[in-house]
Amino acid sequence: MAIQRALPAEGDQPDRWEAQLRKGAVEMAALASLWQGRLYGLEIIRFLESQSQLALAEGTIYPILNRLKAEGLLTSEWVEAEAGHPRKYYSLTDAGRQRLRQMAEAWTGFSAGLSRLLEPVLHPTDKDLSAGTPVVQKKEFFP
Amino acid sequence: MTAEQQIDNYLTALRTHLASLTIAQREEIVREIHAHIRDSAEQTGASVETVLARLGPAEELAAQYRDGLLIRQASHSNSPIVLLRATLRLATKGVFGILVFFLGLFGYMIGCGLFLTAVIKAIFPANAGMWFKNGYFLFWGASNVPPGPPAYEVLGWWCIPLALFTGSLILVFTTAAIRAFLRVSQSWQSKL
Repeated sequence: MAIQRALPAEGDQPDRWEAQLRKGAVEMAALASLWQGRLYGLEIIRFLESQSQLALAEGTIYPILNRLKAEGLLTSEWVEAEAGHPRKYYSLTDAGRQRLRQMAEAWTGFSAGLSRLLEPVLHPTDKDLSAGTPVVQKKEFFP
Repeated sequence: MTAEQQIDNYLTALRTHLASLTIAQREEIVREIHAHIRDSAEQTGASVETVLARLGPAEELAAQYRDGLLIRQASHSNSPIVLLRATLRLATKGVFGILVFFLGLFGYMIGCGLFLTAVIKAIFPANAGMWFKNGYFLFWGASNVPPGPPAYEVLGWWCIPLALFTGSLILVFTTAAIRAFLRVSQSWQSKL
């Protein structure tokens, strides 16, 4: 009961944590979207929406692309399109490819470790439930 | 208000808030955002209003661009104003930034003070110099009331080249230290 009452008061914290996590991942995701070839900003946004759950304010992606370009990880070129106006296409530089590969390796190792750690939280087995916690739980929920 | 007017207003606001960037950088950004608004409206059939709402307020968009670029530019700059402004922006994010800002300010002041000392020595030789008292260092600089005996001046005319040299050394060192700090904070920021 105490736990349940405490939750709403701190309800905004998980959101903020998730927002930060998302923001950090967007940079890597933006690089990854260009792995197959050049794309323009709106295509990158679409790609991220369709391939991952990285729904983001569309405004966030452009400053990130701008910074990645300033860091030399991306290049860009204006290409005349049938739409009647040119579009700014981004592609990975060699440095960008190398950086993305490093990021992917670090990320995969990191997330595999965390997934193992979180496995019991998401899928508690009978063994976990009989390991001492049930008594406390009964007290909490059926006082 | 027509769709074109809405777009114009948005882009004007974006330009205003990107005033601290170079014209080339600013126009490149505005051009890209303009293309995005047109493409997004045409491809999804959404109204310009919806597209602009999804982009977020022009002010916030500009702030995100500035945060990314200002610090990066500053870490390649030699201008004290640019450097201090960038540290000031970082100072809002942590104690270490505040410390670097004040150390930077201190370094620039000492450096400039020594240059001033050299100039004053040339005009009022009696009022500038390096004074010792009882064998201990008293102060190096200029004063309208120079210390009298038992304090004594040690440098004479050497004060001018020495003040210029030490002053430049301190200015160069301060600049390098701030730039190093900005580069480090940049790589912190870009890490997850």
